[in-house]
Amino acid sequence: MSGAAVHIDIRHLTKRFGGVTAVRDVSLQITRGSFTTLLGPSGCGKTTILRTLAGFYEADAGDIFFGERRMNDVASHHRHAAMVFQDYALFPHMTVFENVAYGLKIGRVRGEELRKRVERVLADLGLDGLGDRMPGMISGGQQQRVALARALVMEPEILLLDEPLSNLDAKLRVTVRAELRQIQRRVGITTVYVTHDQEEALAISDLIAVMRQGEVVQYGTPWDIYFTPKSVFVADFVGTANFLRGRICEVDAQRFALEIEGTRIRVESPGEGLQAGEKAVLSIRPEAIQMTSAAPDGTEMNILEGSIRTYTFVGQWVRYWVDVPLRPEAPPLGLVVDVPDPRERGILEGRVFLRLDPRKIHYLQGA
Amino acid sequence: MKRLLREPLLLATIIVIFAALGLFVIYPVLRVLLYPALRDFLALPGNERYVTATLHTCVIVILSTSSATVVGFLFAYTFTRTTVPLRRLFRGIAILPLFSPPFMIAFSYILMFGRNGLVTYTLLGTRYNIIGWHGLWLSQTIAFFPIAALVMEGVLQSIAPSLEYAARNLGASGWRLFRTVILPLARPGVAGAALLVAIYVLADFGNPVMIAGHYTVLPTEAWARISGWGDVTGAAVLSSVMLIPAFGLFLAQRYWVGRRQYTTITGKLVLLTPPPTPWYVRWPLFAFCALVSLLILCVFLGLLAGAFSRGWGFDYTPTLKHWQDVLANGRALINSLIFAAAAAIISSLLAILASYLVARKTFPGRSLLDFVAILPAAIPGVVFGIGYSLAFNAPPLDLYGTAAIIILSLMSWNIPMGYQTGIGRLKQIAPSLGEAASNLGAGSLRTFWDVELPLLKSSLVSAFVVSFIRAVTTLSVIVFLVTNRNVVATFTILNLANDGYRGAAAALTTALLTLTCIVLAASRLLFGRNAELFRI
Repeated sequence: MSGAAVHIDIRHLTKRFGGVTAVRDVSLQITRGSFTTLLGPSGCGKTTILRTLAGFYEADAGDIFFGERRMNDVASHHRHAAMVFQDYALFPHMTVFENVAYGLKIGRVRGEELRKRVERVLADLGLDGLGDRMPGMISGGQQQRVALARALVMEPEILLLDEPLSNLDAKLRVTVRAELRQIQRRVGITTVYVTHDQEEALAISDLIAVMRQGEVVQYGTPWDIYFTPKSVFVADFVGTANFLRGRICEVDAQRFALEIEGTRIRVESPGEGLQAGEKAVLSIRPEAIQMTSAAPDGTEMNILEGSIRTYTFVGQWVRYWVDVPLRPEAPPLGLVVDVPDPRERGILEGRVFLRLDPRKIHYLQGA
Repeated sequence: MKRLLREPLLLATIIVIFAALGLFVIYPVLRVLLYPALRDFLALPGNERYVTATLHTCVIVILSTSSATVVGFLFAYTFTRTTVPLRRLFRGIAILPLFSPPFMIAFSYILMFGRNGLVTYTLLGTRYNIIGWHGLWLSQTIAFFPIAALVMEGVLQSIAPSLEYAARNLGASGWRLFRTVILPLARPGVAGAALLVAIYVLADFGNPVMIAGHYTVLPTEAWARISGWGDVTGAAVLSSVMLIPAFGLFLAQRYWVGRRQYTTITGKLVLLTPPPTPWYVRWPLFAFCALVSLLILCVFLGLLAGAFSRGWGFDYTPTLKHWQDVLANGRALINSLIFAAAAAIISSLLAILASYLVARKTFPGRSLLDFVAILPAAIPGVVFGIGYSLAFNAPPLDLYGTAAIIILSLMSWNIPMGYQTGIGRLKQIAPSLGEAASNLGAGSLRTFWDVELPLLKSSLVSAFVVSFIRAVTTLSVIVFLVTNRNVVATFTILNLANDGYRGAAAALTTALLTLTCIVLAASRLLFGRNAELFRI
């Protein structure tokens, strides 16, 4: 990815609605041909950025460049950044064919060429034979494809997707998102995708910009976002995380430890820049904790003893909520633990021993 | 603003709409207000006739509004929340007055209950005379209660039936249920309906001019000033006085009750199966609705009888002689239809375009456009008529005696009908549709033409229908504007009735009503049902 040309350059973008600042001084560079996701809870400003890119909102401050061209003063209908809307926005009074052909007609594509291009994109998306139907007469998944076809037929350089899968049922969502990714790779179109679904973002993106309250809090690959979140917010929003709050101790070049209520958790990660005694937050994913009912032999590190409060059976794993009493007078430390392959291990109960993998504990900066 | 400069065509459209509304709505009203000098206004309290007309107006507005609201509520309650027999039939009859010329009810009641009335004299042998304030009260109640009923029907329907069941479940029933659940929830709707009716009663010209006799009200006194004395100043003073309560009622209706009422109306319309109404409620309501329905049917019976009887009051031999008068006035009938159709088409297109701009675009003066587009709803027809006769009687816009002055006045007067329909419909159409078109390269006006307008077709049709009915049946607006050259049927009917040609007046009214129905049926055939085929 490095060295590739920047296609969409957002510089210090600010957008206000009345007294509310929806987007605050956001700068973001999106590489040509990449699939970039704006991820965040509702109201974080992700859709506002997308709609500003499409030209539906005017920036209050900052600039938007598509390549070398400043877009701030370009009207939405001259931007050539095709958008797929959350509610699809199919014209209910036009057939599927007419919906897809609409943009081409405005672009003065006529006759045989129009018909060919529309039919090609319909065939590409598995919509052949549906051209004469009205949008109300096809299924939700098909409507979603028509919306995509209507955008793709324009052969745009930029594709903007506003939670396009949120109206599909769970199974279909997974299928369609794989298809979407395939098409995007094939066409090589620069895509900006907005979603609040972290799993979807991880599955589909080259890069993810996690947003909170109008600001981008972390911008990186799905791998970075999941395994090295920079803040409690990112760690908590993307996936499930256990947070360990305490004070740093035993710092050296290869490792350090965290003391919580007198218990030490060792971390195998360089401790440079850390000060013994400072407050810190560590995170560990539920799958990085091993759980057994038999006591380990005593040579292992980071062993905690606790009792299972409750559990939920998901199928491929069982998620447990475990209370670990650290000191008699303090409330117990609650940890979420995922145990894979329940068929093999059954459902555990009562007293358990947890092992926190010291290589999989992650220090959160600025927490 | 930057956006507008990028789309010159959109900017031009907005400017044209502002110019049109300014010239055809604001300017005539300003002419009325500015025509009299200050001392003319100051002389008002000293003029006994003016004071009397003002007092009469106050009294009749209170009387008719109260009775129309009560009757309207009982009707609305009957067809939404009871099991009264024949309630659907009652509803069908109740909306009939909305389709008839405003003076028709008064005129017909004179035929039925006047000095020579079919009921009062021929059947009962009395010399009772309905002409006067009580006749006006009855005709206005019958003429305007349907408006109240329709508004409150919406409100009562929006009160979820589950609430009533919940109240029953908690032990409330009967009067207690009505008083503690239904009435409080319906209260904003009742207030809104009452204000709306008051606006109509205040502006009513057709009923008082027919039936009020010496009981003068502001609109009829203004007309008497001009037609009897040529006193334009006096008419302008009276019209200006009328504008004050009209505006007050309008603002209260729109900004105080209107808003609240709107939020309750938007709820899902759940068709409810009301629990059986107890007999001691059912039968009184039935009797009441039957009586009112009978009074409405009387109007049409009286009209038909009048149109086909040789001499009203003494000789009821069937005859077709009045229909010769109808043929003689064929031009007035044709004019009525052509003027109303032209006005309704222009008005609904303009209004829908304005509603699109207000609902979907941001531009300086947007809320002003919103205000001006609904303003004519507040202006009594008499004021509009006098305003037009003052504003367009000299160069550069000398339209005196032309078809244009009638069409333009009716067009402007009806803009709120289409505008409010359009705004309501646009609220239901997802804005993303227009954005999608824009995203695919369509400019604002292209988007309107390709996407919003087709979806607004049903609103356009209903705006056309409502505007057409109002235009074809109005008397107040056109009474100040017609001459021999541009005469319309309602004016001819008024003259015939005033001159004692009751049979001819009845026949002409029947003809006008029939032709109106034919036009509406034709428009329904033309664009009718497919308008509602698709839903968002």
